[in-house]
Amino acid sequence: MNVISRGIKNAFRNFTRLVAIVIIVGIVIGLSLAMVVARQAVDSKINQVKSNVGTTITIQPAGIRGFSGSGNPLTQSQINEIKNFQHITSLSESLNARLNSSQTNLVADVNLNNFGRRFLQNQFSGNSSFNFTPPVTIEGTNDPTNLSNSIGGGTFKLQSGSSFNGNPNQDVALVGTNLATKNNLTTGSTFKAYGSTFKVIGIYSSGNNFSNDQIIIPLLALQNLSSQPNTVTKVIVGVDSLSNIDALTSKISSTLGSSADVTNSIQQTQNALTPLKNIQTISLYSFIGSIIAAAVIIFLLMIMIVRERRKEIGVLKAIGASNSKIILQFVIEAITLTLLGSIVGIVFGFLASAPITKVLVSSSSSSGTSQSSGFGSSGSNINNLRNHFNHQFLGGLRSNLINVHAIVGWSIVIEGVAIAIGIGILGSLAASSIIAKIRPLEVIRTE
Amino acid sequence: MIKVTKLTRIFKTNSETVKALENISFTIKDGTFASIVGRSGSGKTTLLGLMGGLDKPTSGSISVGNKEITSMNDSKLIKYRSSKIGFVFQSYNLIPNLSALENVMLPLEFNKVESSQRQNLAKEALISVGLDENQIKRKPARLSGGQQQRVAIARAIVTKPKLVLADEPTGNLDSHTAKVIFKLLKDLAKSENTTIIVVTHDLEIAKNSDLTFKIEDGKFIKGGSNAKRS
Repeated sequence: MNVISRGIKNAFRNFTRLVAIVIIVGIVIGLSLAMVVARQAVDSKINQVKSNVGTTITIQPAGIRGFSGSGNPLTQSQINEIKNFQHITSLSESLNARLNSSQTNLVADVNLNNFGRRFLQNQFSGNSSFNFTPPVTIEGTNDPTNLSNSIGGGTFKLQSGSSFNGNPNQDVALVGTNLATKNNLTTGSTFKAYGSTFKVIGIYSSGNNFSNDQIIIPLLALQNLSSQPNTVTKVIVGVDSLSNIDALTSKISSTLGSSADVTNSIQQTQNALTPLKNIQTISLYSFIGSIIAAAVIIFLLMIMIVRERRKEIGVLKAIGASNSKIILQFVIEAITLTLLGSIVGIVFGFLASAPITKVLVSSSSSSGTSQSSGFGSSGSNINNLRNHFNHQFLGGLRSNLINVHAIVGWSIVIEGVAIAIGIGILGSLAASSIIAKIRPLEVIRTE
Repeated sequence: MIKVTKLTRIFKTNSETVKALENISFTIKDGTFASIVGRSGSGKTTLLGLMGGLDKPTSGSISVGNKEITSMNDSKLIKYRSSKIGFVFQSYNLIPNLSALENVMLPLEFNKVESSQRQNLAKEALISVGLDENQIKRKPARLSGGQQQRVAIARAIVTKPKLVLADEPTGNLDSHTAKVIFKLLKDLAKSENTTIIVVTHDLEIAKNSDLTFKIEDGKFIKGGSNAKRS
């Protein structure tokens, strides 16, 4: 029998109290573990999303969004100012335009349906019957296989033929599958645009109808034919690492000033990540709260136990025990109680982590979505389009974010045990000062 | 030898000053069985506490062997208590969740005796006070009052201290058991040459002690047969 075994044995002195404390501490430790698990799951998801989003900066003329908005296009001289900045790995430039029926012989594969009519009726308000021929979207780019420049986005996949390299001043075109089908175009076919004859060198698909209804031609060709020399509507800047993206965004933004909107891929995901970040905060505060609650429980329990065993402590001191030895005995007793609690807590945490994480993610995600809906009801067309864009990009991201998986690993179990030991030590600190103050003579006097 | 010189202990509270002991002096030879008798509040327990190094006097000194204990710091007093002093209390004060054997092993642990020797030494002490192998494995609640006090005496003597201080050791026992315990303590004083000082109300014990001190209002009023009073 030594101080350690005595401390452990003392934890079992009162069975009813032992059971009550183990259950209470177990639930609190279980909750704190569930919060750690939820936080880890969310951290992991955020990192996964960030790594998937990539390291790109988007530069657009200030105030423009797709074919809407106002302002002036970016110029080549503006691009030249930034293109040699450190950490830039690529510059993908593009210019978009719309070809109406007098500028091309192609017909867009657009069926207005309800959404298209609703949007157009806003423009032709009061005129219930209107005739509208949808324009054909044409994209000039120096990076044809990168559809991040395209309004519709998507992943470029060549169905037939080949792509053009770089930015040749040639009348060649890549045509989306929907547009090609609508106009019976195949590789080698020709079509008219801006009075010139373009040769179809490839048919591509993007995974979405919007991009599949476009033409992609060399940037120089579109700049010349559309009489917009040295201008672009979008630049995608590749950055060498995630850590440099914010600094480079700021640098480009300050260089281009108010003439350009400069955003990066991380910023674009911020709104979508906000609900998850809220969970991070909630889980952190809940974790801290649980730990404090457990420490307070042990603290009060140890004060109660020390007061109860005041006489015993006095006797131990009288027969030669040092303060440190008695304190150690009580600390070990507290650690034993919290470790037993942690066993219950780990089991509870194991069972509760996944449901708690799920509830946190679902409730946070739904509140994030409703916030977004509120923003979309502002009424202006620009805001509607912006929301359309945001919902298209972020909506998919949000649905993906709900798939957060809570996993209780060994590290969590070890953390649980460490937390229990910490709580035991923390909770018995106040008891220590009471122990130190007990005078054995008082014990003899109260005989 | 225990030498107490001009010992005074004054307790001060916010409203009053109490002289618990006033100018007490005496000497007790090794192996003496001494008793201190007096009414409640006369200062008996205060004197016991001072000799046991549980309290410090306002003035005066106490020597146990050649060691002056009143000038010792806290860590030296702890060592003094664990090695030179044994305490026996009226209510036995055994640790309830430890067996008799484990209770007796405690002072050995505090006195840093090798763990391998503790059990044998504790067993020897328990058998010397009249407990058997079966009884020493029991927890205090499963022992009679007399048996519990035997365990407490075994705990007090297991480190072979120079001085055993007993505060009303027979106060909770019936007269027969009280006589047995008294005889046990007296025999120990002789066989181990241990000085035993008993605080008691029991005049029978006082009468049969080698030395008796009567104390009233913090002062000795009458000495025993072999007291060297100064």
